[in-house]
Amino acid sequence: MQTALAILTGRLISAATKALKLGGGSAAPGLYALKIDPNLVSKLSSKIKTNIVITGTNGKTTTSRMIAHFAKVSNLKVIRNHTGSNLERGIASTLVQNLRLHPWGVKLNYDLGIWELDEAAFNSIAPKLSPKIIVFLNVFRDQLDRYGEVDTVVKRWCETLKSIDPKTIVLVNGDDANTLKLKSCFKGKVETFGVENYKLVGESIEKYKSKQRIDYEAKNVNLNGLNGSQFKLTINNQPITINLPLPGIYHIYDAMAALSVSHFLDFSIKNAIQSFKNFVPAFGRVEQIKIEGKDSFIFLIKNPAGATQVFETISPQLKKDDRILLALNDNLADGTDVSWIWDANFEKLRNLPRAESMDFNVISSGVRAYDLGVRLKYAGFEPNTITINGDLKKAFREATDGLKGRLFILPTYTALLQLQELLTDSGAKGHYWEE
Amino acid sequence: MKINIGYLYGDYMNIYGDTGNIIALTKRAEWRGIEVVVKNITIGSKMAQNVDIFFFGGGQDQSQTMVAEDLQKSGKGKVIKQEVERGVPLLSICGGYQLLGEYYKPHKGPKLAGVGLFPAYTVAGDKRMIGNIVISSEFIVYSKKTTNYELPTTNYLVGFENHSGKTYLRKTAHPLGKVVKGFGNNGEDKLEGCIYKNAIGCYMHGSLLPKNPKLADWLLKKALEVKYGKDIVLKNLDDSLENQAHSRAIQLFS
Repeated sequence: MQTALAILTGRLISAATKALKLGGGSAAPGLYALKIDPNLVSKLSSKIKTNIVITGTNGKTTTSRMIAHFAKVSNLKVIRNHTGSNLERGIASTLVQNLRLHPWGVKLNYDLGIWELDEAAFNSIAPKLSPKIIVFLNVFRDQLDRYGEVDTVVKRWCETLKSIDPKTIVLVNGDDANTLKLKSCFKGKVETFGVENYKLVGESIEKYKSKQRIDYEAKNVNLNGLNGSQFKLTINNQPITINLPLPGIYHIYDAMAALSVSHFLDFSIKNAIQSFKNFVPAFGRVEQIKIEGKDSFIFLIKNPAGATQVFETISPQLKKDDRILLALNDNLADGTDVSWIWDANFEKLRNLPRAESMDFNVISSGVRAYDLGVRLKYAGFEPNTITINGDLKKAFREATDGLKGRLFILPTYTALLQLQELLTDSGAKGHYWEE
Repeated sequence: MKINIGYLYGDYMNIYGDTGNIIALTKRAEWRGIEVVVKNITIGSKMAQNVDIFFFGGGQDQSQTMVAEDLQKSGKGKVIKQEVERGVPLLSICGGYQLLGEYYKPHKGPKLAGVGLFPAYTVAGDKRMIGNIVISSEFIVYSKKTTNYELPTTNYLVGFENHSGKTYLRKTAHPLGKVVKGFGNNGEDKLEGCIYKNAIGCYMHGSLLPKNPKLADWLLKKALEVKYGKDIVLKNLDDSLENQAHSRAIQLFS
């Protein structure tokens, strides 16, 4: 009875937000439904054949999308939480909005539930989903005002793992010293994924020769600039070559996580790898769009590690006439403490192949455009090459006016949302909330 | 001229973007042709010689306990105190500030002894004091001797705080400033931070120095004066960007 009422309430709110075009509306239905039936998530998720959980600081959305992509290729029906709603209310909303109501009960006709969980929310939600597989991607300093403590995140995951069914398969990033600690916290099977000759060091991914054995390891990595990379994976004693259309080593980690999950879900690895050809990254993650006929890239930046890895990926590719538009907001979803920009290695953005000869144009925007401007100055950008304009619309116009090369847009989350609107209005891309 | 920055426990206590203070000091010195060397002083390493400025950032609880122990056991705490007594400047933020006080009293268990540099003590609190903070600092003096171009006349310092520890100053202690917006040391007495001789402790992240260039220059000036034993006038830098960021922060948050 309680459950039924919870579901109905959720559906009503969902319908209302859609009718009033409040946009996204991803968390409200779940929030209210949970108030009525706090056990809603366990009850509903148990109706899905298989559930898997992805957590970590960076890469959750990309990894989940990859797995969903592979699953669709295998004709499986997938349900996922979207649009960055990885708290309990986001999961509840997704479940409530996608179930079928019958007089005799509720049905969730899905083969696979892929659930992205926030590092902190993981502890209370993961057990409720009774997942078959749990993936721990990495731990970095993220939104300092929400977590602040990397050690605490790992400690809490460790405690949670002690109470998770030992039949669960746990996959951890073997190149991250933090997630590797989890091996000793779980009674069941823990396997590792990683990239040969690389390791997570602080905010960066650095070259490192390790003797440690990784169960699913990307080998013979060849980076192809902004076009992606190529590497080999050996599964069931068979080496396969993978062409990944996303740039940066950090994406190889996401791919390895997705492929190791696929192995445990009995997907055809060959088919999964083939399907990378038409894999489209999520909202703001390496989006390639055309602005005024020119190639432009959007790379979401959220925290020191993510930002540093984006800088490491794009700076070797920058050419004269390219421009960079950075936008820093400090709304709740961006993190209200912008001190994190001092932990992000902006100096790497200046690590250009011919730094001396390039007159680089950087535009700083967003609510905290000035903080960003100061960071850029101290990272080595000449003040006369830094343009500051807190008005994103005007900044975007400045960035595109007379653009001869490419535009690289590096926004924080809510700045990206505002940018999406701008781009839609200017006809550059379609309006969608898909994550 | 050359400056040695002693980065205290940077590998353990650097959780809130406080490296930005090292970056600010380094760049502002280098832009004036002053060479900078950053020395990491941590658990297991010897106390560095010839430190001209000390920096001590914030950390996670686990790290703070280990660092507190090392400060006592290795004698580094004593040396830092001696150096501050003879005028060496120091900047400490959050955890570093707490550990340089008399003690830290957690919710349960005995007091953690501090270095006893600041006449202040910290008690674990229940409420998290978090948000942008603006303070008016009486010690920041606009002196015609050190600058000769237009500076904002405000003596405000801006930053971001995130702490549950409540620091109380002894009656003899000098606060860094008065809270204009935010919580400050304890959310009760409207005071923030502490200054003792040329040592500053406070709860302001941000990072603190980039948007408060006058404070950065004050630390550099003091360091050089103690080191070279003479009055130092730092060359002016164009701080228009930093000052704009400073004003904008005041506009947004107070």
